[in-house]
Amino acid sequence: MTLIVVRDLTKEYDGRKLRALDRVSLDVASGEWLALMGPSGSGKTTLLNLIAGLDTPTSGTVVVDGAPVHALDEAERARFRRDTVGVVFQHFHLIPYLTAVENVMLAQYFHSLADEAEAADALVRVGLGDRLHHRPPELSGGEQQRVAIARALINQPKLVVADEPTGNLDADNEAVVLETFQKLHAQGHTILLVTHDPRVGALADRRISLDHGRIMSAGLEMDFDNARWKRGERQS
Amino acid sequence: MLWRLVRRSMRERRAHVALTLLAVAVTAALATALLGVTFAIRERMARELRAFGANILIVPRSAPLAVTVGSLRYVPSQEEAYLEESELARLKTIFWRHNIVAFAPFLSRTVEVAGQRALLVGTWFDKRVDVPVPSRRFSFASGASREVAAVEGGWNTGLEALVPSWQVDGRWVREGSGGALVGRALAARLAIEPGQTLEVELEGRRARFPVHGLLRTGGVEEDQIFVELAAAQALFGRPGRVEKVQVSALVTPDNALAVRARTVGPESLPPSEYETWYCTPYLDSIVFQIEEALTGARGTAIRQVAEAEQAFLGKVTGVFVLSSALGLATAGLGVAATTARAIFERRAEVGLMKALGGDRRQIARLLLVEAGVTGLGGGIVGALLGVALTRVIGLWVFATPIESHVLLLLAILGVAPGVALLGALGPLRAALAVPAATTLSAE
Ligand SMILES: Nc1ncnc2c1ncn2[C@@H]1O[C@H](COP(=O)(O)OP(=O)(O)O)[C@@H](O)[C@H]1O
Ligand SMILES: [Mg+2]
Repeated sequence: MTLIVVRDLTKEYDGRKLRALDRVSLDVASGEWLALMGPSGSGKTTLLNLIAGLDTPTSGTVVVDGAPVHALDEAERARFRRDTVGVVFQHFHLIPYLTAVENVMLAQYFHSLADEAEAADALVRVGLGDRLHHRPPELSGGEQQRVAIARALINQPKLVVADEPTGNLDADNEAVVLETFQKLHAQGHTILLVTHDPRVGALADRRISLDHGRIMSAGLEMDFDNARWKRGERQS
Repeated sequence: MLWRLVRRSMRERRAHVALTLLAVAVTAALATALLGVTFAIRERMARELRAFGANILIVPRSAPLAVTVGSLRYVPSQEEAYLEESELARLKTIFWRHNIVAFAPFLSRTVEVAGQRALLVGTWFDKRVDVPVPSRRFSFASGASREVAAVEGGWNTGLEALVPSWQVDGRWVREGSGGALVGRALAARLAIEPGQTLEVELEGRRARFPVHGLLRTGGVEEDQIFVELAAAQALFGRPGRVEKVQVSALVTPDNALAVRARTVGPESLPPSEYETWYCTPYLDSIVFQIEEALTGARGTAIRQVAEAEQAFLGKVTGVFVLSSALGLATAGLGVAATTARAIFERRAEVGLMKALGGDRRQIARLLLVEAGVTGLGGGIVGALLGVALTRVIGLWVFATPIESHVLLLLAILGVAPGVALLGALGPLRAALAVPAATTLSAE
């Protein structure tokens, strides 16, 4: 079953001649883990934002789980994000004055009702049972990103989008976060993950590479031994 | 969760919240104090004008050359001239009879009390006046005539009605009781209290008065003795005589006609204008009608003082209201600016909340509740400060503390969060207009 259907998606930012995204078409199956790759400035974040309903395209269509995201008005997009999408950012974007559990509860509050026990449970599942009442500045980068993942998942979204979620992490934290994504994948979540790290991309079911706003290659084979990485052996 | 979020956010930004709170508090305190003082001035103005009471003084046409020394008054006996007490009821038969609110006659002499000199004043305290004419028709040169309805039956008037602001420790003198009110200062000098008896002497004649109360007026009356008119007349040997009458009348402010009548004299006005003048309750036309009614009477409008005072107080109030308005506008802008800044600085947070699925209404509610709570907090602190400030200003200006009106305080508590919310609205709209993606991809 196809969850995401993207057709001729184009984005021009105000005052820019170049297209950040140029007639991109793409299908993503339900439960699939897709890695968006490519050099900096190639349009990865732009594509992710358009699919997640965080921004609106100049032209083209995005349909996610039957919803025409490109055509929704602001209130409908807010509802779409709330019900269908969980977002994980490179810079975590936790609210610094809320504790870990409160950051998760904020997403619940916007969705329906804040439930502290359930939020705490979500944090336990990402291994943060002893960090519930810490504030982001008191947490390591990996811990912050795991809070962000718990927050993204708390409302059971059909789609999880992550923009370079390990880009700001050291090797140990990167491993923990990637493990979390693998668990999500195993549970059947659809994952859209932006990275320019081939080792991270290798964990996905499929990779597409963007360049200057266009899709260059799909399912590109990487010079990377996924099995070795999973055994915990570090690549050079 | 809403309150938990607001609490956390306010604690995080406590320096900023404190600043906003301070701005609101100062505004609210200013508003409370300035408006409170303005109200108090207006109230006092009204009371003082009422306290001043009499706006017409009636004396005999051949007024005696009286010498006044402090609270005492001396009249050479060969120049004595009087009004007749029995004629006073006629004041309620003039055209503007219903505008005569109160009046009181006076007859006074300096007497000896326990080796000291004091002015003994005979007057009416609360005298029953039987109005002689049932109703009366006034005819004019134009042929027009107007019927004026009678004052029904009897009517009570005297010092109590004329100067309601005077305060008595003890009780007022009832007509026919033979009692006296003694000025507070004099009573202190004589070491006399209500319940005791005062013995006075004039040219070998003596009289005793039980003291019913001590008088507080803030004026020379605190050195005087007030007794019933009949008792004074008996002591002075002047039965039925009155040396002056003070009248409190409701009047219309002067206009061009009143001024013209005063310069040329009312009799020189054309008949129709005269009729208009006569039938308008100007101070002068009432004085004119009083002079018509009483034989040998000369009325004086006590206008200048009261009007100058009123004009001055009016200007003072005006300046106060104007500076209040300017101060409040400035302070309100300050509050709005502080709130605006707080929200402007949270645009990134608003973008994140949007990305997490928050809709405009939810996010707006969070920010507005915070602004409202800050405003209300500031309003409460400010109102309390304002109450204190009002008292201090009262002590400084009037030598008595001014109490703040509860309604004013409630209004302040309503307006303070309102100003903060108003300040929040503009930047809130701007912040909500920021697309979620822009704030988040900014690195
Ligand atoms: N908000 C924006 N306004 C203007 N230009 C933008 C904006 N966001 C991205 N761009 C431009 O669009 C292109 C694609 O950016 P982006 O999608 O962020 O690339 P990537 O995520 O692959 O690094 C770049 O040239 C970038 O400078
Ligand atoms: Mg990017």
